[in-house]
Amino acid sequence: MTAHTAAHDTAAPETPAAAPGVRIRDLTVVYKTPAGELPAVRGVDLTLAPGTITGVVGESGSGKSTLALSLLNAVQPPGRIAAGSVEIDGLGDVLTLRGEDLRRARGRQVGYVFQAAQNSLNPLKTIGKQLLDLGRSHDVDDLRALVRDAKDLLARMGMDGARVLDSYQHELSGGMRQRVGIMLALVLNAKVVVLDEPTTALDMITQATILRIIREVHEERALTTLVITHDVGAVAEVADSLAVMYGGRVVEHGPVTEVLGDARHPYTQGLIRAIPRLTGDLSLARALPGRPPTLGTLPGRGCVFRERCERRMEVCETDEPMAVNRDGRTVACHAADRHLSLVKRKEFV
Amino acid sequence: MTHAVPGRPRVGAIARKAGGHLVRGLVMIWVVATISFVIIREIPGNPVLGQYESLIQKGMSPEQAERATAVLYGFLPTGNLWEQYVGYMGSLLHLDLGRSLSTPGVEVTTLIGHAARWTVLPVLAGTLLSFLLGVTMGVYAAIKRSGKLGDMLALSGSLLHGVPVYVIGLLMTAIFATLWPIMPSGGPVDVEFVPGFNAGYIGSLIHHAVLPVVTYTLASYGGWILAMKSNVVAVLGDDFILAAELRGLKRGFVFRYLARNAILPLFTILALSIGMLFGGSIFIEQIFNYPGLGLLLVDSISSRDYALMGGTFLVITVGIVVANIVADLLYTVIDPRVRSGGAA
Repeated sequence: MTAHTAAHDTAAPETPAAAPGVRIRDLTVVYKTPAGELPAVRGVDLTLAPGTITGVVGESGSGKSTLALSLLNAVQPPGRIAAGSVEIDGLGDVLTLRGEDLRRARGRQVGYVFQAAQNSLNPLKTIGKQLLDLGRSHDVDDLRALVRDAKDLLARMGMDGARVLDSYQHELSGGMRQRVGIMLALVLNAKVVVLDEPTTALDMITQATILRIIREVHEERALTTLVITHDVGAVAEVADSLAVMYGGRVVEHGPVTEVLGDARHPYTQGLIRAIPRLTGDLSLARALPGRPPTLGTLPGRGCVFRERCERRMEVCETDEPMAVNRDGRTVACHAADRHLSLVKRKEFV
Repeated sequence: MTHAVPGRPRVGAIARKAGGHLVRGLVMIWVVATISFVIIREIPGNPVLGQYESLIQKGMSPEQAERATAVLYGFLPTGNLWEQYVGYMGSLLHLDLGRSLSTPGVEVTTLIGHAARWTVLPVLAGTLLSFLLGVTMGVYAAIKRSGKLGDMLALSGSLLHGVPVYVIGLLMTAIFATLWPIMPSGGPVDVEFVPGFNAGYIGSLIHHAVLPVVTYTLASYGGWILAMKSNVVAVLGDDFILAAELRGLKRGFVFRYLARNAILPLFTILALSIGMLFGGSIFIEQIFNYPGLGLLLVDSISSRDYALMGGTFLVITVGIVVANIVADLLYTVIDPRVRSGGAA
């Protein structure tokens, strides 16, 4: 291969470049269904600050995995990105990339880590051979160095690199596979890393280990990281900021401690109430009534959450709440809006 | 990476496995041989005893008749079951399958050997050709499954899979040997050529083999394309294919990941159909008048040539047993999951 697109390989190999920022603007992803094209993600604005870990939580079907795939312009048919942009520093708008440009960006600039339980590795090849395929796909000249980097990364995550590279997928445990997935996402020095449910289907101890590794590697390598999960506890552990998704929208976004400590959106509040505490009465945990909307049951207008909301107002039936940014926190809720303005007014009186 | 990791293809382990298979295979063959011995001996009318008696009627002395029958079947017509059985097994060990009745005096092994020549090559060619064609088209049918091309390919598979082989064969002869006679209608070779390594003879062989091979290919192509298509579709849904794309792997690598995983289960079927090949293809050999194993089996049945029948059955059994062993060992070599012996 002659292409020297990997110029930054030689240009700036070890200077820990500033982590890139990621700006998702007005992203809308639709899925083709017998009932027409329905939005799984609608009008999402989300900024990942450089060098931070952003967690995205939401129930199944809230559109969080679709959002994650959009960062690599990899929404699978019958899905289609209908509108919006995903700007990544140093790469431009990912959604305009096509063909070879897109392929090169994947893996090289944006790393993607799959859910552990599902198998993201070719069962018929050793990890080492798949690593070499990855290197050859991205025109890495020095494959020995690549193998060395991979071994370092694996050792960094507490594994015997040589042994792992010589193994097949079925010879590794779930936690080991997940670490291999992280290694493959990072070994080409990608600065933006997307982790889709990285700890789902792992036992508690392994979950904790993986989360610690994510946090440490993130800091060492100055990454910008997006963690998708339905586990609020996991996000609390690892993320700097937290975005809550519901029905294809980001309903609340802000620093993780503030969002969890002082939730403003009724859905976030319900989500937190539903978490069982380790101490105290189990019955204190209250499930959110109702069910999350599916693609087919999303209301055409008004607030997506109103059916399950205890603070529903008349305006919620007709107008979709706009995302309002106040002191570094974004909330899309009519009620939270009014509540806040009331509080503010009282302070001034 | 020189670590001795469990799961490497170790020659010792494979050899041990092969040994185990061999023993089991021999047991299988012994069981089938025993069953065919019992059937031939116990079949209504007892052909062995019948032969013996008819020879006596023709004026042979009982001793002569006994010897002549023993030559035919490999065991004495009189005596108790056990003695006969030991005699039969003894001659089997010497690869002596007895002598044919319908072609008097000719050894069964000779007849089978001749017929095998006319079966193995055309059927092998047809099997491999249909496999390659079906697998390639199956990949296309899967990748283009939401388009016209995919629909057409899948339809061609379903249609050909549903049409019986003798219909395809008859259509072939009707079109290419009668309506538009560019192909010979039957027989394995033109008699005017001297058998040997000369252009005329070999050309004639190939010319005669075209229609049977094409018929066989069309008949088994449908199965391959349908199986391959569904395998590819299944693997396409696997996460590691999407993961490979999201890691930015080149299309060639992704395709190889896909193809290798999808084709794996088909190798077992391929190995087994190569084993079945020793049964010949009765319809094709009948239609094209090809003196292969299938025709030999039919002839032996219609002429009640029990020794030949038993021998043919035994050859088919051995072919299938060997193919099973080969398929299993092949799997051990190409699938690392089987190699390390049952992991999650």
